[in-house]
Amino acid sequence: MITTPPSERDLHAYVDYALSEAERHQVEQYLQANPEVAARVQAWQRDAQVLRTTLQQSLQQPENPALDPVAIRQRLHRQSRRQWATAAVLLIAVSIGGVGGWQARQITQGSAGLPMTDALAAHRMFALQGFLPADYKVQQSNDMQGWIDGYFNQAERLPDLSGAGFRPVSGRLLTTDQGGAAMVLYENGQGQHISFYIRPPGPQNNLLPRGSRRDGDLQADYWSGPGYNYAMVGPADGPTTELLETGHNL
Amino acid sequence: MSPFDEQLRELIPRLRRFALSLTRHSSNADDLVQTCLERALASVASKRPEGDLRAWLFTILYRQFVDNHRRSRRYARMLEFFTGRDDTQPSTERTVIAQSTLQAFERLGTEQRALLLWVSVEGMSYQQVADILEVPIGTVMSRLSRARQALRQLSEGEITRPALRRLK
Repeated sequence: MITTPPSERDLHAYVDYALSEAERHQVEQYLQANPEVAARVQAWQRDAQVLRTTLQQSLQQPENPALDPVAIRQRLHRQSRRQWATAAVLLIAVSIGGVGGWQARQITQGSAGLPMTDALAAHRMFALQGFLPADYKVQQSNDMQGWIDGYFNQAERLPDLSGAGFRPVSGRLLTTDQGGAAMVLYENGQGQHISFYIRPPGPQNNLLPRGSRRDGDLQADYWSGPGYNYAMVGPADGPTTELLETGHNL
Repeated sequence: MSPFDEQLRELIPRLRRFALSLTRHSSNADDLVQTCLERALASVASKRPEGDLRAWLFTILYRQFVDNHRRSRRYARMLEFFTGRDDTQPSTERTVIAQSTLQAFERLGTEQRALLLWVSVEGMSYQQVADILEVPIGTVMSRLSRARQALRQLSEGEITRPALRRLK
């Protein structure tokens, strides 16, 4: 419904053909009686007309084949395939050596099932079967801590297991669905291994109560600390738990 | 080719025109149209509108442009902070009097250009425009009124050039 006299808005609605027949008529009568207003309205109409004509030209641009829906669909399809390809590379990186396929699966699905399954899988792959070269090898005693600190922010200090003859020898980086993980391998003079494992609690922030469990011939101790989940994995008949306690007390 | 693709293809010239009026640069405009079409094609069929496909595509394209623009403005402000000057708005260009309606149009702000194109050129309803901008219909009308006023003033050269005026 328009006002009498027509408001500014009514005049624009008139220019844009947004009025009913009766309203149009009413505005036209008003404009006849008010030539100044009529001149303004005509100027708006002229501007609109000029824009329509001049902008008509930019409808005639040369075709751009990149904008064709079929081409865009193909591109979208290729992009999603490439993302899968990248994901596959990460998985292959941990399963090189052929035997590790299933274990790699366990690593990448670390959150499923029992706590810190990924730590156990990593220990089996890297400590016991020894495949993939280390990402980092210790040169001096404090190196390993610095290497870990480069990837994890204010993580718990590496336990000192030197009392039991275990020293950190190498580190490995892994990818899991919970985020980047690292495993530090300790070794004693007899060539036995214990590993320290650290990774983020994941998007669901799965924090763990302190606990331990046996998995085959391995024992895992796990807990949540500042910002991350941790595990120590070693031989089931070995003194991992005690080592850990003494290690932290040192 | 699916019927949806066919409808899209028919609208491409208008999308390119709209993008050109926003970016004022044809290759940027086509990039914008491409992103818009990618989003449209990647969207789930159930999320596509039953009604006016054109209004939906304009919405996607416009939001994308405003988003990019905001980002580049932030970047420009950051540059300005480090270099101590504002390269985005050369003051001489702003005060030059428009020679034609088209030039005046190109000097309007983003939203005013979009508004005039939607209403005056594409003939969209106030309601459709209100939906795109997510504002009440009354706001569309008053912004349209201001846009027309601004276009008038610019093309009549009512904006004087104080910097260039000679004082004798």
